[in-house]
Amino acid sequence: MKIIPAESPAPPGTQALSARAWSALLLAFLLSGCHAPEQSADTDSAVIYLVEDVPAGLNYDGPAASLHTSQVGIVNLMDPLLEYAASPEVENGVQTSDFSSFEGSLAENWVYDPAEQSWRIDLRKGVYSCAGNELTADDVLYTFARAKSVSGAAPVGWFLASVASVASFDTSVFDNPAKRRLGDEISKLGRYSVKVFQSAPNPLFPHILTSFALRVFDSQEMRKHATESDPWSHQYVDEQTSPGFGPYCTERWIKGDEFVLTANPYREERAPSIKRIVFKRVPLSSNRFVIMKMGEADLSDRLTPREFEALAGLDNLKVIGLTGNETLFLHMNFKSPPFDNPLIRRAVSAAVPYDWIINNGYRAQAKQWLSVVPTRYPGVSENFQPPPGGLEAARQLLSQAGYPNGKGLEEFQENFQLSYVAEKQIALGPIANAIRAKLREVGIPVELNPIPLTQFGDRTLVKRDLPFALSDQEKPVVVDAGYAIQLFFASPSAGGVNNMTNYHNDSVDALWASARTTANPSARAEFIARALDQIAADIAWLPLAEFKTQWATHTELYGFRWYPDNSIRFSDLYRKEH
Amino acid sequence: MTKFVLKRLGVGLIQIVSLMVLVFFLIRLLPADPVARFVGLNASAEAYAQAEIALGLDKPVLEQFKIYLLGDEQTDGLIHGSLGNSWISGSPVLYHIGLTLPATLELILLSFLISVSLAIPIGVAGATSPNGAVNKGTLIYGLFAGSQPEFSWGTIFIFLFFVVLGVAPGPLGRISPLTEPPDPVSGMIVVDSLIAGRADLLLESLWYLSLPVLTLSFVLTGPIIKMVRENVSQSMSLGFIQYGEAVGLSKKMLASDSLLAAVAPTLTLIGILFSFMLGGAVLIESMFSINGLGQFSLQSVLAMDYPAIQGVVIVISSLTLLVYLLLDVAQALLDPRLRA
Amino acid sequence: MNRAMTAEGSSRDPTTLTRMEAVAIVLTAVPILCAIFAPVIATFDPLAVSDAVSQPPPTLRELPSLIWGVLFEQMPAPHWFGSDSSGMDVFSRTLYAARVDLVIAFSANILSFIVGVTLGVVCGFRSNLATEFIARIADLVQSFPVFITAMILVALAGRTWGNIIFAMSLLYAPIYLRLTRTEALKVKARGFIEASTAMGNRPIRILYLHILPNSLGPALIQFSVTIGFAILLTAGLSFVGAGVNPPTPEWGAMIAQGSTQLVLGDWWVSIFPGIAISLTVFGFALAGYALERRFET
Repeated sequence: MKIIPAESPAPPGTQALSARAWSALLLAFLLSGCHAPEQSADTDSAVIYLVEDVPAGLNYDGPAASLHTSQVGIVNLMDPLLEYAASPEVENGVQTSDFSSFEGSLAENWVYDPAEQSWRIDLRKGVYSCAGNELTADDVLYTFARAKSVSGAAPVGWFLASVASVASFDTSVFDNPAKRRLGDEISKLGRYSVKVFQSAPNPLFPHILTSFALRVFDSQEMRKHATESDPWSHQYVDEQTSPGFGPYCTERWIKGDEFVLTANPYREERAPSIKRIVFKRVPLSSNRFVIMKMGEADLSDRLTPREFEALAGLDNLKVIGLTGNETLFLHMNFKSPPFDNPLIRRAVSAAVPYDWIINNGYRAQAKQWLSVVPTRYPGVSENFQPPPGGLEAARQLLSQAGYPNGKGLEEFQENFQLSYVAEKQIALGPIANAIRAKLREVGIPVELNPIPLTQFGDRTLVKRDLPFALSDQEKPVVVDAGYAIQLFFASPSAGGVNNMTNYHNDSVDALWASARTTANPSARAEFIARALDQIAADIAWLPLAEFKTQWATHTELYGFRWYPDNSIRFSDLYRKEH
Repeated sequence: MTKFVLKRLGVGLIQIVSLMVLVFFLIRLLPADPVARFVGLNASAEAYAQAEIALGLDKPVLEQFKIYLLGDEQTDGLIHGSLGNSWISGSPVLYHIGLTLPATLELILLSFLISVSLAIPIGVAGATSPNGAVNKGTLIYGLFAGSQPEFSWGTIFIFLFFVVLGVAPGPLGRISPLTEPPDPVSGMIVVDSLIAGRADLLLESLWYLSLPVLTLSFVLTGPIIKMVRENVSQSMSLGFIQYGEAVGLSKKMLASDSLLAAVAPTLTLIGILFSFMLGGAVLIESMFSINGLGQFSLQSVLAMDYPAIQGVVIVISSLTLLVYLLLDVAQALLDPRLRA
Repeated sequence: MNRAMTAEGSSRDPTTLTRMEAVAIVLTAVPILCAIFAPVIATFDPLAVSDAVSQPPPTLRELPSLIWGVLFEQMPAPHWFGSDSSGMDVFSRTLYAARVDLVIAFSANILSFIVGVTLGVVCGFRSNLATEFIARIADLVQSFPVFITAMILVALAGRTWGNIIFAMSLLYAPIYLRLTRTEALKVKARGFIEASTAMGNRPIRILYLHILPNSLGPALIQFSVTIGFAILLTAGLSFVGAGVNPPTPEWGAMIAQGSTQLVLGDWWVSIFPGIAISLTVFGFALAGYALERRFET
């Protein structure tokens, strides 16, 4: 008996005790073979989306902001001021974006004034929130004021504004409470327009407006839920919904279980075609796979390459996706000997089984990464080549370094513990294992060390003491190579933020400093390109693979577009008989 | 009797309090730093300090404990009945426990209901049957089922009944994702649909729970059958049964007498299994996408969500102590000699 | 004698084995022997990664000629149980996994047995504030959720064998303590201790000579049963990612990895370690039961 997908005449709840239901009862107790009730899907609009987890929080300044699952919720409830412009190109079922130009989302016009170093932003008129409030300049002011208050557990809004050199969004807010109040760096010009001042010319400003943070809040609704101890309504956003001016509203949110969105009833222009989305948490990827396979859901992601492969060939299902910005790299800490020795870094890079990783680890749903920034990003070229010659080359490099056949490396055994995120065992385990095997073949005493995500984050981002790691979770959310350099490769003294391998090269720092201060776009591009070449030559990260960001979906669903946060905007989607 | 219960309650209370202290400090001895995951994008020293303040981890441990117990201007403490806020979601820990505990209870109560109602007749049959095959069979089944890794069988059942045969629901939790669950009263969908008078929801939830309950019952029947079987045969070898046999009481009556004698140890076993399952159902829960207490604790442990871990351990341990207390009372009722 | 017991042949010559005992011995000896002789029996390095990923085991029809080939024609051994997604040999890993699981289970049990029995005897023998305190602490630890506590200890303190063994010992010691204490109390109540004391024996000697040997029975039976629990717990921990470090072969970890592939049709990755764990734990349960019967008669 096969389950016939979704053609039920009546929604669940209207059927009384049918024969089918009785047999279900029987089966519940005896599991004797009988009919399965077919899924009663409201095929007109609802989309069932199987997710690893539903949003833990919806507050982009809150504790759950760094979780991808939370960001998916945020971007569907709140609209940004700007989006990257859509590119006409469609790659394997997914539309791409043109990262050098922008289109308005909540903003209608945005104009830069070089003399003043300011941006004038005019808002769209007649945009309403889920509560029916109209978008005005006050909402933008509120959004920036909340970011500057750094009142949340993770001040992401403030951070992005500071990266974009928004005036007076600097670290002084942490020392001095008086500096946390919004001044005239952002001022209201009228009911629908504001002006934002920058402290330096910085082309990143429009980029950060597209990200999941700094999306505009419905200030009236937010103020309604403020309390004395929580004036910025963090509790409300973490528990109820994030009130913004997006295409959807929260209908039901059961943390750890289910999250249901319905179309914003006040949205007339750009109203979404799909009216209802049900996010259902199914933590095991193999379960998401079988449910998709049996046709009981419309959409899923975070499956293993083999599961995607198996779904791609089935009726009524398609697998779409592209190589966006998800990458895999080896992290070798410059402060942990012997990784301070360039010869050892090169030896590791020669011994790593790139082909095995691409063909068996990712089942060819990836390509070798030959740069240190996602190659899709503008201005990024393939400038990295591992030493040719494979294991033989690795052995020679080891001898040159004074460790023939790895003799003498036992001393550093602790530092050869290859860490990776334990929760990703299914995806990363086999790859880490293959790397371990190859490196041991040339005499490098590698052992595996899976640790929980939280610990991994602590040791890479805060303590920066992880000697050796395999990571697939670092992606610059702002599509700009300069931002990537600042994030990962610049020294802390030169403004670096998350330099987790403790990489330091004066010339890279100098090039980045020049790129930052120049107002000339082509000079900036030149500085950045030279910095990237240097970073690749030093193997600051050892790039391994760029893998596809993919979705398995019902063949009827169309309109997918790729965004750098890898979250679907459901308002893009529509149904079409194929 | 009242004195006995009061005394046991007193001891239980002291135990729970010591438990809270123990968990609070032990967890902080572990070599892990929970702050990092909050800084994410921006790991500057300032952002780190900010997160530390937001979590209250900048204060000395004793101060933290005081706040956890008594609360401060901004937060409620344990004495106000609050377990603090989860660090992952920002919601109160009690909210999460209120969501997840009923799910676990629903799963394991149904499984116990089925296991016990199957295990008792099977165990009695095993003990009283003159047929060697039945006798041995129940013994072997009891030992075997009790030795099974439920996570292994869970996958096999999903594959067999859902994928190959198509006669069971997918591992989608306790109810179809498209169905609006009944208004939460108990949080257990089966109970709530009864309260709401919705037979359709009741059936649907039983349907969705059928495979996880089957898996769990398979494992649980093992030790219970073994226990019933052993105790019934033991009590049958006791004098009063032989006397009964001698005076010609029917076999049925004899069996029910011996069953009564087997009640106390079986109850104890069920109590122990039950409290084990409160946290131990985590494997079944992740396998069948049930958002239960085990899942919540797994997530909290991996995310080093201290308030959540503390909350879960305190709630499960208190429930366990409560179950043990009830067992003691039940046994004292059955056997007055125990009321020391 | 009731029928159940006669059916199992309890009125027997104590030097002969019942059928059940024989089965129990086989089922427990096989994994132990596999663990000891794994390097001899295994056909592959259990950690060797290869390009032959996810290969099915030979079919029954291929099997005879393959066995013939390996035995007499020096053919290289195939993957008898197939290979996993890293191209590692499932057969060799299943064998080596017996080492890991049994070593962890035995170490944890021996440790908790020693601690639990020692404290239990003392607590049963002497009743004062200190022993009362120990008994209460044991109660407290027993009320901890076993699985979650183990998860916390292992996930946060590090996934080493030592930590897993420590976590389990902590959780199992109270079981032994309780059992032994109850027995010790019974022994003490029998009165010959008083006699012994009256004869001028020192308490420690009484403890050692009389109470300890007479209180061990239930703890020994429990030992066999708890070995099974410990194997299941080790495997369960691995299943949720809080067990031994990969790529160490371990049954639970292999099942966890394999169960994700079962739905893709690769049944062999999880079924073979699944059978191994089922039979091993069953064997120890059976052994516990058989021991119990022996002690009774």
